[in-house]
Amino acid sequence: MSIETGDWIIEACNLSYMYPDGTQALRGVSLKIPKGGKIALLGSNGAGKSTLFLHLNGILRPREGVVRFAGSDLKYDRQTLLELRKNVGIVFQDPDSQLFSASVYQEISFGPLNLGLPEEIVRERVETAMAATGTGEFRQRPTHMLSYGQKKRVCIAGILAMNPSVMVCDEPTAWLDPKNARQIISLFNQIASDGTTVIISTHDVNLAYSWADYVFIMAEGNIMGEGDPESVFRDEILMYKTNLEKPWLVEIHEILLKKGCFPADSSMPRNRDELYQLLRNNNMCRREEMLNDFNNIRDEGRERNNVTLGIKRL
Amino acid sequence: MLNIDGFAYTNRLKNVHPTEKAVFALLTLFLCLVFSSFTVSCLTLLLMTVVTVRRAGIPYRAYFRMMAIPFSFLVVGVLTIGITITTQRVEQEWLGSLTAAGVTFGVTSGSIIKAAELAGKSLAAVSCLYFLALTTPVVDLTAAMRKLRIPSLFIELTELTYRFIFVLQETAEDIYLSQSVRWGYSSLKNSYKSLGSLTATLFLRAHHRSGMIFTALTARGYNGQLSVLAPEYRVSTANILMITVVELLLLSVGVIAEVKGI
Repeated sequence: MSIETGDWIIEACNLSYMYPDGTQALRGVSLKIPKGGKIALLGSNGAGKSTLFLHLNGILRPREGVVRFAGSDLKYDRQTLLELRKNVGIVFQDPDSQLFSASVYQEISFGPLNLGLPEEIVRERVETAMAATGTGEFRQRPTHMLSYGQKKRVCIAGILAMNPSVMVCDEPTAWLDPKNARQIISLFNQIASDGTTVIISTHDVNLAYSWADYVFIMAEGNIMGEGDPESVFRDEILMYKTNLEKPWLVEIHEILLKKGCFPADSSMPRNRDELYQLLRNNNMCRREEMLNDFNNIRDEGRERNNVTLGIKRL
Repeated sequence: MLNIDGFAYTNRLKNVHPTEKAVFALLTLFLCLVFSSFTVSCLTLLLMTVVTVRRAGIPYRAYFRMMAIPFSFLVVGVLTIGITITTQRVEQEWLGSLTAAGVTFGVTSGSIIKAAELAGKSLAAVSCLYFLALTTPVVDLTAAMRKLRIPSLFIELTELTYRFIFVLQETAEDIYLSQSVRWGYSSLKNSYKSLGSLTATLFLRAHHRSGMIFTALTARGYNGQLSVLAPEYRVSTANILMITVVELLLLSVGVIAEVKGI
């Protein structure tokens, strides 16, 4: 993705923050969030991701440094904060810490009502958000009778109903099963395609690599690296320093590249399908052989659907 | 455990306007309390039982088990009224009595009527409240309370308490489970110790969580007021008509009973 200068929605300059108990959570963090992008913030536990997120929404005030939204410095008065919170929504990791109401409908209506919108518009927004997140089907169930994944979707709907220009999600796929995680990710894709900037934090390098346009890597309260996923995840030293693993696609691509299977200038595959495509384009193996390999994998019962899909497209 | 909360969300009257249900329950309760008449009480009890079991589809087993809860309290209360104890040797119209060491225990027709009236009235009143509790989710009740302009502080407290009962219960269950898999409740001594630490942890967790909730609310522009919208319900003219007729009938029965002194 090409990012032109000045196209930043949120900027943080040299942020430092220390919790009252003396934990130095941020040590001079600077980052620029491109407008309309899909951003992943990677880092291990305690790297400062959540603390940074709370700064983006004005919940925490940095000891040093500045947060800028759409180019102007954040002032911490009531009006500015309210305006910021209208534009930057946070979905917290634990849905039980976000859902305050037993009613799905009430929960989603809370945010847009705080924006001072008239009732009809709020009702419209609640309906739209419920439709987008698929939460309408359990609108009559109380939140304590919902599953974890359903609660998570209600949390997202609550933020979505505020129509923020930036949506920040703390560990959105943590504790979710693969099916629910996929649904959440495709929901984010949909939100991002409507022009909303989506920022997620995660430990999952594979997810960050496949999903994000731009990646930040955090460790010990600092941004250790950033860039498009292709370049960030090929940086051996950065991966080593931040205790992260390479995404499997990057690893396979590198191995195959070393073996001379692809031309050196071939683009890196961002997902399974792109890898298959690359293999096919470069006549790496004959079709029958590949089918055989795929069948073997399939017989082992791994990734059944994806493999069959891959074969069909070859 | 009786799943009142579960029934409230799944019963057949869940789509009926909560205000209609509340008015029906409270008006009937009011009439039943105003006319201290055995006839009205019995009618109310019958009415509420039929509506709760037949219309709302609450299983009658669950319903009668719930009705049995106040019954035990009631028995104690009714016995003390029904049985007269006296040391005076004044001859009363005993239906049956027992005198021992100068103290007379016994029942009179007056005391029996009084006791029956009380029992009927209490059960009838309880059935009104059960109808409301079993057919109307708390979130709908608070929505109705909002419409009735009850102070929002009270409503918000009700809503938050209700929501966090379940969060707290879940947390407590998790802690209990993790303690018991490590033999935390294997002996009486261990149980005391584990229960103590469970309680302490629960308080800390609750405190921690309230902080997180506050953060999450602030992030969504919380300004001191938990303003929310409730889903809209359709007002049913048929229901209102039916409620009016039933209440008027009950009222006339009450008046007749009062006049005739039944």
